Amino acid sequence: MRMEHWWFTTRLRLRSILRRSRVEQDLDEELRFHLENKIEEGIASGLSPKEARYAAMRAMGGLEQKKEEMRDMRRMHWLTDFLDDVRYASRSLRRTPGFAAFVVLTLALGIGVTSGVFSMVDALIFRPYPVPHASGVVSLVSTTQDNSYDDFSYREYLDIRDKAKSYDGVIANAAMEGVGFSAERAALPRVKGGMMVSGNYFRVLGVEPQLGRGFRDDEDQVAGRDAVVVLGPDFWRHEFASDPSVVGKTIHLNGTNFTVIGVAPETFPGMLIFGHPDFYMPLAMARVFSTNRQKNFFEDRDDRELTLRARLKPGATLQQAQNELAVIAKNFELEYPKVNSRRGAAVHTQFEMRTRDDDGNWKFGVIFLILAVSVLLIACTNVAGLLLSRARTRTREIAVRLAIGAGRFRLVRLLLTESLILSCVAGLLGVAIGYGVIQWFRSFQNVIFMTDLPFAIPFQMDKRVLLVSLVVSALSALLCGLVPALQSTRTDLVNGLKSADVELPGRKRLWGRNVLVVAQVSVSLMLLTASFLMVRGFHHTLLDGTGFAKDHLLMTSFDPRLVQYNPAQTQQFYKLLTERVRSTPGVLSAGLTQNIPLGQDGFDGVAFVPDGFQMPRDRENFFSTLDTVDEGYFETMGIPILRGRGFLESDTAQAPFVAIVNEQFAKHFWPGEDALGKHIRLDSRDGTRVEIVGVAQTIKYHATAERPMDFMYMPLAQHPVARMTLMLRSSGDPLQLVGPVKEVVRTFDANLPMLDTRSYEEYYRNQAVEGPRIAMKLVAAMGVVGLLLTIAGLYGLVAYNASRRTREIGIRMALGAASSDVMRLVMGKGLVVVGIGTVLGLAMGFAIERLMNSMLFNAGGVDIAAYVAVVPAMFLVTMLAAYVPARRASRILPTQALRYE
Amino acid sequence: MSKPNDLVQGTLDLLLLKILALEPLHGWAISLRLRSISSDVLQVSEGSLYPALHKLEQEGWITAEWKQTENNRRAKFYSLTRLGRKQLESEAANWERLSSAISRVVQLSES
Repeated sequence: MRMEHWWFTTRLRLRSILRRSRVEQDLDEELRFHLENKIEEGIASGLSPKEARYAAMRAMGGLEQKKEEMRDMRRMHWLTDFLDDVRYASRSLRRTPGFAAFVVLTLALGIGVTSGVFSMVDALIFRPYPVPHASGVVSLVSTTQDNSYDDFSYREYLDIRDKAKSYDGVIANAAMEGVGFSAERAALPRVKGGMMVSGNYFRVLGVEPQLGRGFRDDEDQVAGRDAVVVLGPDFWRHEFASDPSVVGKTIHLNGTNFTVIGVAPETFPGMLIFGHPDFYMPLAMARVFSTNRQKNFFEDRDDRELTLRARLKPGATLQQAQNELAVIAKNFELEYPKVNSRRGAAVHTQFEMRTRDDDGNWKFGVIFLILAVSVLLIACTNVAGLLLSRARTRTREIAVRLAIGAGRFRLVRLLLTESLILSCVAGLLGVAIGYGVIQWFRSFQNVIFMTDLPFAIPFQMDKRVLLVSLVVSALSALLCGLVPALQSTRTDLVNGLKSADVELPGRKRLWGRNVLVVAQVSVSLMLLTASFLMVRGFHHTLLDGTGFAKDHLLMTSFDPRLVQYNPAQTQQFYKLLTERVRSTPGVLSAGLTQNIPLGQDGFDGVAFVPDGFQMPRDRENFFSTLDTVDEGYFETMGIPILRGRGFLESDTAQAPFVAIVNEQFAKHFWPGEDALGKHIRLDSRDGTRVEIVGVAQTIKYHATAERPMDFMYMPLAQHPVARMTLMLRSSGDPLQLVGPVKEVVRTFDANLPMLDTRSYEEYYRNQAVEGPRIAMKLVAAMGVVGLLLTIAGLYGLVAYNASRRTREIGIRMALGAASSDVMRLVMGKGLVVVGIGTVLGLAMGFAIERLMNSMLFNAGGVDIAAYVAVVPAMFLVTMLAAYVPARRASRILPTQALRYE
Repeated sequence: MSKPNDLVQGTLDLLLLKILALEPLHGWAISLRLRSISSDVLQVSEGSLYPALHKLEQEGWITAEWKQTENNRRAKFYSLTRLGRKQLESEAANWERLSSAISRVVQLSES
């Protein structure tokens, strides 16, 4: 019944839209037929044809109303009306192309900036994992006092996988950075980045390889047995030219043969935001790639290197999973107190993981988004102001329409259609601008990621961003169109009809405009404050310096595991390498470090207990960031040793263990005392005893904007590491040392690659300066756009006020007012508006400063300089915007003004 | 929408459906039929007829078709659809219930 009904009615409705004229014609003809019959009947009963005609018309009673009634009945008039509105609105916009262009451009800027920045926030926070039913995938983390997002060990993973009942599968993975890859055995290995994954990885995620197969669970059971690998889609395309016969081939990873069994689909670039693994291999192959030779990955419960994710069973809640995992963690604590005491576990959604508080990127994204939305708001208020002024010139038109019976709602709809058209065009242009912004972001790919590893900027104009742009456009249409539409249809009919340009009844309308400008001034002041703070914040941290010398430094990394050196050979290689490069002409000094400061890879951490330190009750050990360096490092980097000594060649593996800490560390654990000669224990109270032999100056380790942090150095000989970076201080251009160093390396092994060979200064500039500079450019651009729009808005308001009062001004001047009086009169309003806006803007500025401090800089306190610079500038500029039209008004000739209208 | 003031609300639909149930007719013929069968008791303003027909058509109860009349003129003939027939049944039943209830009430007050 219902279906049938629908079939009938939709067909008829469609007909009434698509074949509108045909339907109208039918109606006409039908009514005419009736009329003619009626007339004939009248004539037959003896009336004259004329009388019969009148009688018939009377009997029918208002043909046109009937027709309209029937049109209404088709219930499609909202659509046909809308089409009419669109036609009418676009005609009236075409008549004022300058206005339309300005509005479109203004809105497009706002929408474009917003959609561009949203693509960034989307990639950093909202975009779901590229797997089916991504919302069911949760992250499992191990938690301690110092680290709420710790990894799990292999043994812990197995236990959780087997005991947890809330999931359809628990998967584990560990990133492998710097794996030597060669397609042919003889070729020089190149550095690639991959992922070790549990055997159920692809199955649980629901990822079907586009070629070959994923791992079987049994391929992840026996350590070192199944040397199989699944390639990432990008890697397959670049290294194998998308050759489908790659499945079954053998490739070489760190010198071990692996059989390619599959290729991951294009839709699955990996689970990370930036990194796209080149290949995947089973966890069981970990031995080949172990990074920590002191620990046994498969056995040691405290060798925590695995990231855990799981797919919730349908119907299982996060809370259930959380409770279950808490119980498992509690059991770990009881069963393995040595390595698990005070260690909990937590389940997080993807969103929670993306917005973790120890990560800065998303915070930048959110702040950018706040600023972008501010720009959009300014643009919208600007356009609203313009529409209001435009409505004024249409007072008469609107009054006429109201007078002949147009409903107010109907007129509001017409006016809203106009702003909808504007914002649709603006939306299209905005998407283009947003695309430009995204491309601009992406153009920094190589600047931001100076590495041989597979990283990509994931910002893109995809369906999600398009949808958001669309919604934003529609919202801005409503935002900037509704108020003017409502206000301008509240017209006093009598006055409206009398004159084309009336003084409107209330001060209400003006009030609306003033609110718009106050909003503009304050938001734009906030925007400027934010950009100023950001620029200053970055400058500040850059001026602060890093604490070491960056110039004349060459960096190059080695990983002798790529050519199958064992640990002893590796250490021997580093010893000889530094000896030989030190005697190379042009090299002033040379040092080795596990990680360079301000580099892309984070530093390792180390747990320790300071000897004689009163441990808090709830703590077993402390945690510090750690770097492993050789005896030449401090001199080469120009990091001053403030007290004690640097490392010496005599600090060998057989000698007593020593460490150097930074000033911050020394102050932290031995305030008011000398840290020299103090001891710490590694891991726990009965761990290896290490003597502190030096205190180094605190430098910047992770980022230029960081606060001073505890840091510890250990000598390479006592803490062997395979992958090290050689830093060389040169007398001339550091890049000229590349050739000689290559020669030296060739004398050891022609196949040993030199990785990431660069001038450190250039690297530093890209890494630590360029990134912030890009951010600064973006913020500054938004600030400038906001300010320009505000100036335009304010100018518009004052000019509008002045033109409204042309007649009044003329009279005043005719009566003897000086032009300075007129200036005061016209500017007074602007001054008040700007004043209120400034006060509000200041409040908002303080708010955003607090927000930025809490999220980014941690500077604390109020940056007075920012306000001293921004507020007067803003005030001046806006006053200027008010001055120009005021001045023009004061020059009006009374004769002209009085003749006006 | 203008209502036929001398008809109980909603009964025009029923009348039209009933008339069309007998045979397909054009608007003029319907108005004649209405007049004759109700012997001028039910005065339907001719202007209200077409909106009512139009509504029935939009509801899918009747369907229209252009045909030649006996005088060889083109007219729009309405006929009942299957849906319309069902509607007629239910409205007729409704009417029965309502009118018998009303007449019972009227008799009650007189006795």
